[in-house]
Amino acid sequence: MEFQALVDAKGLACPMPVVKAKKGIEGLETGEILLLETTDRGSLKDFQGWVKRTNHELLKVEEHEGFFRFYVKKGE
Amino acid sequence: MSTIKTITAAELHQQLEKGEHLFILDVRNEEDFNDWKIEGKNVQFLNIPYYNFLEEDESIYIDIPSDKEVIVVCAKGGASEFIVETLESRNFKASHLEGGMLSWSQFYYPVVVKDEDVKVIQLNRPAKGCLSYMVISEGKALVVDPARHVDEYVKIAAAEGVTIEHIVDSHLHADHLTGGPELAKQTGANYYIHSSEAPNVEYIALDQTNSIQVGNTNVKVVPVETPGHTPGSVSFQIGDKYIMTGDTVFVGGLGRPDLGGKAAEWAQTLYDTVFQTISQMPDNILVLPSHYAAQDEINEQGVVAEKLGVIRNNNEIMRNGDRKSFTDAVAASANTVKPPNFEEIVSLNRGGKPVDPDKATELEIGPNRCAVHHGA
Repeated sequence: MEFQALVDAKGLACPMPVVKAKKGIEGLETGEILLLETTDRGSLKDFQGWVKRTNHELLKVEEHEGFFRFYVKKGE
Repeated sequence: MSTIKTITAAELHQQLEKGEHLFILDVRNEEDFNDWKIEGKNVQFLNIPYYNFLEEDESIYIDIPSDKEVIVVCAKGGASEFIVETLESRNFKASHLEGGMLSWSQFYYPVVVKDEDVKVIQLNRPAKGCLSYMVISEGKALVVDPARHVDEYVKIAAAEGVTIEHIVDSHLHADHLTGGPELAKQTGANYYIHSSEAPNVEYIALDQTNSIQVGNTNVKVVPVETPGHTPGSVSFQIGDKYIMTGDTVFVGGLGRPDLGGKAAEWAQTLYDTVFQTISQMPDNILVLPSHYAAQDEINEQGVVAEKLGVIRNNNEIMRNGDRKSFTDAVAASANTVKPPNFEEIVSLNRGGKPVDPDKATELEIGPNRCAVHHGA
C-alpha cells in the first residue's frame, strides 16, 4: 500500500507511538496516508481508539516479525 | 523529569487500605479500563484515554478535580507520566502510579490470619484477587497456591526464619500461573497436586496423601477432596480451625464448574461436594479461599476469611438440598465471561513449556473470574 509519510516508532513504549503518529499526521493533507511502525503490541487498541476519536481511518494493520504496521488515512 | 510525582503500588495500596478518598484518572483505552481496574472502597474513577489529551479539546478537563490530587494510572507507567506533565502545566495536582497496572498486578501484601500454635499468613494479590497462604509451625512452612512471583514466599520464609518444606496447589488454576513447581525447585520442598489435574511435572499426588505434617507433630494439614470447580480440587483442613478451600468455596459464594468445558457434569460433582463433604464441616471453621471478587469480602482484620456457618447462611444454594435447582443455577454461571487466556494458562500450569516474564504478565493481565456469584 502506498503512503505519504512514514513514522518509525519501533522500540518506543507507550505513549510515544501514538504521540509520534499524531505529529506525523499533522503534516499531511486530508486523504493522505501515514504508515506507523511499532513494536508495542499494546498500542493497537490505543491506536484504534485514537483514530476513532480523531476521524482518521485505520486502513490496515499488518503483523510482521516482531513489529506492526498501521496504515492511517487522514480524516477531515 | 525529576519533578513528576510518583506513587508506588505499595503506597497506593496503603492509601486504599486506610479508606482514603482517592481520585484515580485511568488513561488506558475504554475497553481495558472496563475490563479491569484498581478496586477500593472510597475511590472515584474517571477514564479518559491518554490519546484524547493529544487533541486540543478543553472539555476533557471539566471532570478532573482541581482541588485534590489526581492519581493517574495507565498500563505500564509511560502514558500516565506524560499525562501528569500535561496536567501540571495546567495547574492540576497530579501523581502517577509507577509501573502502571503492570506493577499493580505484581503487588502482594501479607496479613497474619492467626498466630497461635500454628501461624497462618494470607498473602493477598489485590490486582488479581488472588490469595495464597503460608502455614507455619516450629520453623517449617507449608505454602498453599503460590503465585508465580515466588520471591514473595522466599522473602516471607526468610523474615519468619522458616524453611518451606511443602507446597500444595488446591487445583490446576485457570486464571493465573502457578508458582508451585518453581518454588519447589528453588527451595527443595515437596510439590503436591491431585492426580486428576493431570499435571506433567514432578509431584506427590494429594489423592494418595492422608496428611502433611508441618513442624510440630500436632500440626497436620489434611487434604480433603472437594471436586467441582475442577475434578481434582482439594481443600486443606487444619483441625477444626481452618479450611483452605481453593476455588471451591469463597466468602461470597462457590467456584464455577465450567472452565473445563463440562459444566453440567462438574456441577453435579460440586453438588456432591457441597452436600456430602462441606456439609459435614462445623459452622465455626474458618474458610480461607484462594480468591475474592469484592472489597466487602475483606474483614475488619484485613483478611479475606469467613466462618463456614456464615457463608452457608448467606448462600441459599448451599442450604437448599435440591440437586436440580443447584446444578441449574451453577451451570448458568457457565454463560458468564471466562478468565482471559484461561486455556493457555491451564496448559502452562499443567507443565507446559515455560514462557518469559513479559508473556506471563500478558497472559495474567485482567481480573479474576473464577467465582459464581449467587444473589440468593
